[in-house]
Amino acid sequence: MTMKNLRGRVAFKFDEIDFDVDQIVGVKNIKTTNMDELSKAAMQEYDPGFASAVRPGDLLVGNHNFGYGHPHYPPMKAMRHMGIAGVLAESFSPGYWRGEISMGFPQVSCPGILAFVERWDEIEVDWAAQCVRNLTQGTSIAFEPLPRADLEMLEAGGLETYLKKRFLNEPT
Amino acid sequence: MGSTITEKILARVSGLPSVKAGDEVMAKPDFVLAYDFPGYTDVIFKQMKNDFGIDKVAEPERFGIFIDHMVPAISPAEEELHKGTREWTTINDVKLYERRGIGHQVSSEVGYATPGAFVVHFDGHVSQLGTFGTLAMGLRRNVLEAFALERVSIRVPQTTRVDLVGKLPPGVMARDVFHHLVRVLGPASCRFQVLEIGGPAVADMSNDALQTITGLAMFTGAVTAIVNPDARRLDYALPRARKKLEPVYSDDDAVYAARHEIDLSRLEPIVVIPPSPANTRDLKDYLGLPIHTGYLGSCASGRIEDMRAAAQVLAGRKVADGFALHVVPTSQEIMVAAAKEGLIEVFAAAGAFVSSPSCDYCFGRIATMAPGQRAVSTGTLNVRGRMGSPDSEIYLCNAAVLAASAVEGKLADPRPYLLG
Repeated sequence: MTMKNLRGRVAFKFDEIDFDVDQIVGVKNIKTTNMDELSKAAMQEYDPGFASAVRPGDLLVGNHNFGYGHPHYPPMKAMRHMGIAGVLAESFSPGYWRGEISMGFPQVSCPGILAFVERWDEIEVDWAAQCVRNLTQGTSIAFEPLPRADLEMLEAGGLETYLKKRFLNEPT
Repeated sequence: MGSTITEKILARVSGLPSVKAGDEVMAKPDFVLAYDFPGYTDVIFKQMKNDFGIDKVAEPERFGIFIDHMVPAISPAEEELHKGTREWTTINDVKLYERRGIGHQVSSEVGYATPGAFVVHFDGHVSQLGTFGTLAMGLRRNVLEAFALERVSIRVPQTTRVDLVGKLPPGVMARDVFHHLVRVLGPASCRFQVLEIGGPAVADMSNDALQTITGLAMFTGAVTAIVNPDARRLDYALPRARKKLEPVYSDDDAVYAARHEIDLSRLEPIVVIPPSPANTRDLKDYLGLPIHTGYLGSCASGRIEDMRAAAQVLAGRKVADGFALHVVPTSQEIMVAAAKEGLIEVFAAAGAFVSSPSCDYCFGRIATMAPGQRAVSTGTLNVRGRMGSPDSEIYLCNAAVLAASAVEGKLADPRPYLLG
């Protein structure tokens, strides 16, 4: 495993089960392509001060079935634009999971995560040890191992690079 | 220990004697399908050429492309996209199905729903090919993997089995069965799993009904749905099948993550209230809610069974003043059947706007709602802004409920119309 551990603060906890990520930017902004504009629109319903509080490397935490509904890519594009480095949730909706992993955006399925962290706790995702450490509270919790292909996609930084690597080894 | 139909299909396409849920395999899809859509096919076609140096696909018979969105085009840019798609399919010698109807339905009509086959698409509603014992998955952007490489990486999913028993009462349809399932099992119940539909009631169910149920599987969290194909399914699918394959079936001692039984005779009409497909409610609690527009159609519910149910309610009646009803048969084949049966006449006489097949009503590209408006819909989804303004609302329901609501201009129970 060559992937660098994620380390940052819990920038937000989404308590809602079956959370529809489109709500992050609001449906009326879902077609916005300008990243600065999209980031300005993001999180207005949840915490208007979010963009100014976030630091590069910070992480999001979600509840069960995170990403349910009909997820689009712009909300998490905005999150990455603001410096968010990954999402940890109790569990994920498969369509959302697949989409974000393909963008090279780390997603970590970690039962118990919601109770394990407070907002702004400093945490670390240790890929090799398959655990999340709460550096603020000095505790640790295991996460569910990712499928090999998903890890390779994250290591490659996304779908395209992952496929190009494979293409060189197994031409059609 | 036996295997599920899913495990058997994935074993074959991975070149392995057997696989079990949890195994990570490299699977070669029998068919790779897509409809043209900006950001998907145009990007994929470009990437294949520029990033992978693929000027022409190696096995064109494995690919199928549909033009069903943005039909008809309303801007030069949309028509440009279609032009690019036509050029790519011509150069690649790949089958293109344009204006034949919604691709997921046309796929069955033209034989991609080959029993025992493994099919990938970017759109998850392709799961409806599962009606015919086909394992069909929506991979979102990852479908590029199937366009650029021979094999896709996949973790063999577990299966949740749902056995249907009993007979549906009048006025209750496949839509109600599916959304009831979401209600009792939960919207996360089948996450990353296959939803396998079986039980004694299946034999009496139409292909239409099963396509409705399997096509919506994603809203249980499932990656797809599948049915062990019985005689009725094989009679439809085998003569059209595009590949000679032996149909496969789950073993009696197959291992399931969970098993549930649903008694159809106890179901009532439901509505799914905005803004989530998880919000199944009893219709009776929402009767009388004012409604402005209705959409009968989609890859989920615009088939002949749905057309008949709606026509039965609408025959000899008029759509309420000010109510905009759009009737959109899912495919040309269905539209022809509906015309032959006189259903189109019923709809037109009732005051409905009858349209040739198109995906565009389902996502608000046309028949777009203004803020404050409210729709009944047999479309796939009721999230905010799906059919227009983020401040409009969508109530999902079956075709009969939709027709009764069109007559009354408010959410209505179809059963008095059907029985009387």
